[in-house]
Amino acid sequence: MNDKTGIILGLLATILVLLTLAVYIMNAGTIDFTELGSFAIVIILVLAATYIIWDRAKNIRKGLPAKDERLINISYKAGYYGFIAAIWSAVGAPLLADIFLGREELEGHYITAIVVLVSAIIFMISYFYLAWKGK
Amino acid sequence: MKTRIKELRARYNLTQEDLARKVGVRRETILFIEKGNYNPSLQLARDIAKALKTTIDDLFIFED
Repeated sequence: MNDKTGIILGLLATILVLLTLAVYIMNAGTIDFTELGSFAIVIILVLAATYIIWDRAKNIRKGLPAKDERLINISYKAGYYGFIAAIWSAVGAPLLADIFLGREELEGHYITAIVVLVSAIIFMISYFYLAWKGK
Repeated sequence: MKTRIKELRARYNLTQEDLARKVGVRRETILFIEKGNYNPSLQLARDIAKALKTTIDDLFIFED
């Protein structure tokens, strides 16, 4: 996949996420506080993804590559941290829900949402930290 | 690890962006290599050395 195709696909994915969120909000009726937190996290992830796409487009316009060996290594490292976070959040979410919220059983869809959000957040934080540090 | 990239860039009147374009990486990658924050692959080190008309041995100073 070349750089421009990647950017177009990234933009499409971002728009689809925002559309899904908009459709959900319009049909949800009343939205409770925990859902608002999830929306905020999704918006932060969308903003971070948009920044990455904009940064790549800027480099292409200057005649530089959208990503190079350093960014590819950073993506692999951040992906690894996100994967570890996904595993541990799947294990830890039911335990923490039991300890702090007194919920002996956490439904599967909550765990799925937690795993996706936690791994995405850890991926983004690791990506930006490593990109800032240079390695 | 220290490098002589900055010094050689100045000698050939190249900006970080010019050098990045020559070797096919992003400008930030050149910046991090110059600062010693990123160890480039052997291939990239060779490309930078070639662009600055020198050798890898001359470009990178390894501290024991």
